[in-house]
Amino acid sequence: MRIGLYCIIILSLASINLIAQELNIYAISKPNEGAKLIGPDANLQLVVTGENVSDVTRSVSYNVDPSSIVNVSKTGHVTPLSNGSVKITAKTTEGLSAQIELTVEQFEIPQPINFPNEIVPLFTKHGCNGGGCHGKSEGQNGFKLSLLGFEPTEDFEYLVKEGRGRRLFPAAPQHSLLLRKGSGDLPHGGGARFEHDSWDYKAIVRWMEQGMPYGSPDDPKLESISVYPSSRIVAPGAEQQLAVSAFYTDGSVRDVTGIVSYESNQKEMGEVNQSGLVTMLKDQTGDMAVMVRFQEQVSVFRATIPLGVPTENFPVVKNFIDEKVFNKLKTLGLPSSEICDDTTFLRRTAIDIAGRLPSLQEVEDFLSDDHPEKRAHWIDSLLSTTDYAEYFSNKWAAILRNKRKGNTYTRGTQAFHEWLMGSLHANKPYNQLITELVTARGEIAHNPASAWFRNVTDQKERLQDTAQVLLGVRLQCAECHHHPYEKWSQQDYYGFSAFFSRVGKKKTDVPGEEAVFHNVGLATAKNPKSGQNVKPKPLGGEELNINPEDDPRLDLASWMTSESNPFFAKMLVNRYWKHFFNRAIVEPEDDMRVTNPPTNPDLLDSLAKHFVKSGYDLKDLIRTICNSTTYQLSAIPNDHNAGDRQNYSRYFPKRLTAEVLLDSIDGITGSSTAFAGQLIGTRAVALPDDSYNSSSYFLTVFGRPEMDSACECERAQGASLAQTLHLLNSKNIQDKLAAAGGSADKLASQGDRANEEKIVELYKRAFSREPKDDEMKTAIDYINKKTQQAKENGGKINEANKMAYEDLVWALLNTKEFLFNH
Amino acid sequence: MITVFGDCESGNFCDGIVRRSFLKIGGLAMGGLGLPQLLQAEKNNKGGSSNKSIIMIYMPGGPPHQDMFEIKTDAPSEVRGEFRPISTNVPGVQICEHLPKIASIADKCVFIRSVVGAKDRHYSYQCMTGRHNDNSPAGGWPEIGSVIAELDSRSEHKAHTPAYVNLSPKMKHTPYNFGHSSFLGVSCKPFRPNGDCLSDMTLDKITLNRLGDRKNLLHKFDNLRRDIDSFGSVAGIDGLNQQAFEILSSTKLAEALDVEREDARIRELYGKGTDKVQGDAAPRLNSQFLIARRLVEAGARVVTLSYSFWDWHGSNFKRAKENLPDFDQAYYALIQDLEERGMLDDVTVIAWGEFGRTPKINKNAGRDHWPNVSCALLSGGGMQVGGAIGKTDRLGGEAVERPVHFSEIFATLYKNMGIDASQTTVTDLGGRPRYLVEGYDPIKELI
Repeated sequence: MRIGLYCIIILSLASINLIAQELNIYAISKPNEGAKLIGPDANLQLVVTGENVSDVTRSVSYNVDPSSIVNVSKTGHVTPLSNGSVKITAKTTEGLSAQIELTVEQFEIPQPINFPNEIVPLFTKHGCNGGGCHGKSEGQNGFKLSLLGFEPTEDFEYLVKEGRGRRLFPAAPQHSLLLRKGSGDLPHGGGARFEHDSWDYKAIVRWMEQGMPYGSPDDPKLESISVYPSSRIVAPGAEQQLAVSAFYTDGSVRDVTGIVSYESNQKEMGEVNQSGLVTMLKDQTGDMAVMVRFQEQVSVFRATIPLGVPTENFPVVKNFIDEKVFNKLKTLGLPSSEICDDTTFLRRTAIDIAGRLPSLQEVEDFLSDDHPEKRAHWIDSLLSTTDYAEYFSNKWAAILRNKRKGNTYTRGTQAFHEWLMGSLHANKPYNQLITELVTARGEIAHNPASAWFRNVTDQKERLQDTAQVLLGVRLQCAECHHHPYEKWSQQDYYGFSAFFSRVGKKKTDVPGEEAVFHNVGLATAKNPKSGQNVKPKPLGGEELNINPEDDPRLDLASWMTSESNPFFAKMLVNRYWKHFFNRAIVEPEDDMRVTNPPTNPDLLDSLAKHFVKSGYDLKDLIRTICNSTTYQLSAIPNDHNAGDRQNYSRYFPKRLTAEVLLDSIDGITGSSTAFAGQLIGTRAVALPDDSYNSSSYFLTVFGRPEMDSACECERAQGASLAQTLHLLNSKNIQDKLAAAGGSADKLASQGDRANEEKIVELYKRAFSREPKDDEMKTAIDYINKKTQQAKENGGKINEANKMAYEDLVWALLNTKEFLFNH
Repeated sequence: MITVFGDCESGNFCDGIVRRSFLKIGGLAMGGLGLPQLLQAEKNNKGGSSNKSIIMIYMPGGPPHQDMFEIKTDAPSEVRGEFRPISTNVPGVQICEHLPKIASIADKCVFIRSVVGAKDRHYSYQCMTGRHNDNSPAGGWPEIGSVIAELDSRSEHKAHTPAYVNLSPKMKHTPYNFGHSSFLGVSCKPFRPNGDCLSDMTLDKITLNRLGDRKNLLHKFDNLRRDIDSFGSVAGIDGLNQQAFEILSSTKLAEALDVEREDARIRELYGKGTDKVQGDAAPRLNSQFLIARRLVEAGARVVTLSYSFWDWHGSNFKRAKENLPDFDQAYYALIQDLEERGMLDDVTVIAWGEFGRTPKINKNAGRDHWPNVSCALLSGGGMQVGGAIGKTDRLGGEAVERPVHFSEIFATLYKNMGIDASQTTVTDLGGRPRYLVEGYDPIKELI
């Protein structure tokens, strides 16, 4: 962040507390120069804050000396009155003050207006060129603007030349259709967007008075923008004024606070208005961000809203994760929950790592183990099982779209799934795994990874999936226009696309299968906007000159997996973090961009660094996460953290996924689900592709993904009445409960075992814990009552006993304790 | 005891002869709040236009536009057909002689005679989603009911009651079926009281007493604290369980679905039709219109149904004479009934199919597929109705006046729900916001 000019005056006032309070005035200026207002229409936004002072821009009084040079409004907005230098002093009611010097130059010379730099942003600010209005591809009611002003030359055409020039009337600018509609003088579908006396209205008038110039090719172009302050701790209910600087190719800097557009990413936490004033809502704790957009540049202001509860006693720090998380919690003043008990830990890790409940034996072994490192040992043992590999292959197969589109896909989806499983089980380094994937060549039989090129059909899908799944960049927007929330242009899109431009496919001896090969030739992709053939270009890098004999995918893989790649490792750790914590550090996990900042940047960076340093070791990453105290925190809130959704002050429970739930129900009821073409006993989490969804109403209704997209969001986690009805009353579940040889049948027929012992067993199998006294009593009473009733009514006691066990198992599997990982 | 036709492919109810099943929902009259009241209570929590709803009557196969709402008396005999026009209660507007009841309430209807934008595809996709299925985003476009369910779920007080109810049976010609998943996910799929969900809603091997025992057990065992989850999904399960038990143990949902409970006069008003499946589509059950009204009254936001079979490549006029009177009766009754209950301004009713029929009558006295132009019938929803919009040429082959794209109809439906479709987005699986309707505005004549 470039620092503008600010003067600090420390006052030796009798301060009540001992914290030194300093007041700063900030105004945008060139580095190492004083703030300037050039021309009669320049303006500046002051920001008055201090180290331990909240934003007071709107509550201080401003003294201007001499008063003839500038006017300062109550909101800290400065406009020039004449040439000269001026001192502005801001004073708080408590007596703190700060001063700043400004110069006004060329007050008598109106500055030439540049259309792309000064007029187009106004259309963005007022929403004229949004996707719902004139910015959509067909325009609105005959008038079109480019989406968010990304194509100023087209906007110039539309405004100045189209419609026989009827939109602008330079002889009397106020009578232009543009201004009459925009200000609501004439009926306008979008309503009045600006006032007659607004700076924006006047700017458009001035531009027309100057003869509607586009600007000269030599005019400076926008290079970057920055927001002051870039981040800050803001109390709930408090305000923060922002100031936005625009940096141009000629080295000049301009205050653009008033003409940029702002958007809050967490409107339930804080709002922002058109002049860049952020207002926090009350009773909120956590992080929010405000996106600032100016021309094709975006930047962001991050606010942390503390709770401010004393936080001295955090649980033990096990590794760097705990350091980073607890640091954040200290900043927020948000105390964490306690560490969870052994039974909760056991069940939680088994579900999160292996996608299953712990077995009865495992529960008993773990609870009787008194080794101090038994939790770490358990995590290691889970990671060494094929259950882990199956569960994570299931996760990857969905986003790598291992979809069985027809009968000829069976071998391919199976082979691809096995390749994933083998790789994960052997703990193949992630960089190697991905290199094998994106550079895959040959036939499916010899190289199963090549099936990805069949699942993901064309060049467009390949580049988009690669960007989204592996780099966390949702590049698809940039196919047709500049990305609205990112720096990516169409040039970037087609440059990235070019990496996949030489992927060839040819028929093999196996019907419906194809071999992938490198089609020798110069790799390029045509940018339809410019007509230019773009060479392969890594995101944020320069175009590469790749020999036509070389497969450009190799260059892509080596760029992605290089240690300095800014996306690759972060994306993976963020995805895995979400798997375990239910909320990613950047949410959604595959939309990582400047304007969607992480809630804990330090944590994300450290995880990524750790992952790279470990040699892209996936099991190590899981081990590190699961051994942290943070992961082992209880889900039960304390007096303060019940509302935390971002900062991991406790474990966030999640519903079991469709597959895990089905397997768990099979487990507790002692039944199994048969899947066509799979061995008996195959778990639902081990199914290779999507084809089993259509035959299993259970998997469909609980939202197993159809593997249509690269987004994990395809896995629907929303609950529905249909799901509930299925669990409570379906034939499917009732058949499992009543199955001969199932749990209820077996337990009821074990006449030599006490009912108490059987209930303990059921509880351990369902919840990994022993029943509490009242739960035990409820269960025993129920069995006794049912058998008693049978005796009295002359019914079959054995049958009644079995039905009682069915009912007990039914009740257990319908509890939230069963349905959630907590 | 109520009758609902079921999903034949589920196997449980199919006797191989009659494509329907008899269903008994709930045996005993239990106390407590029923679904209709429950839905109502939930709705009251929400602001704005939550009392607005849509009943969409899908006419699978594509009804003959020129034999219904715009009789081409000037066309040559191989085009004209045998039906004569009759006057409606809107001066200057005439429709088919076999739709006399609708003609008598033409002031409460709008006949759109110039629907365009169709393709030669026998599917409900366009009628349900307002889109075609080419280049659809991953997961597929959502149906209007799914969109409403998604928008509803964004509101503060989440109603876990079905916003979208699909009364359609499973039809043999697969593309006629709707109620599909989309990029909005399974939670926005319609609730199908006679689809996959049917058996789950019906107590079969479990008696009501046993269900009660189980419920008590669950209540005692279900001790996980709700406050461990600040995202609301733990508490959400409780709400859903409560509703599911209501459905399983009370007769109230049955009541909403059970036309037998309706006043005999009202039932008679709707007429009967037939429960025999027509062609490869749906039966012609007029009671579906009544059930739709009852569901809307109970708080459902979008109710869709399939009515009969309209793909008449042969015997166009014979079949029209069988179908139109039933349709006439059912539609008329629905509109009159909604109006009597003061609901017509809040409920938009639309009846349409996927395309029109060829001007030229073929050798089997049928008409073939004609995507160039088709028709739609709309009522209610607070629209300025009364009469006709658009006109086709002398042969009924092309829209010559005021072509109305089916997207305009969708924009209108959304508008009637209080939603500006050009400003409202739902997010697809790639994270791209998708406007509900792109490039078309609500039909100006109806505003």
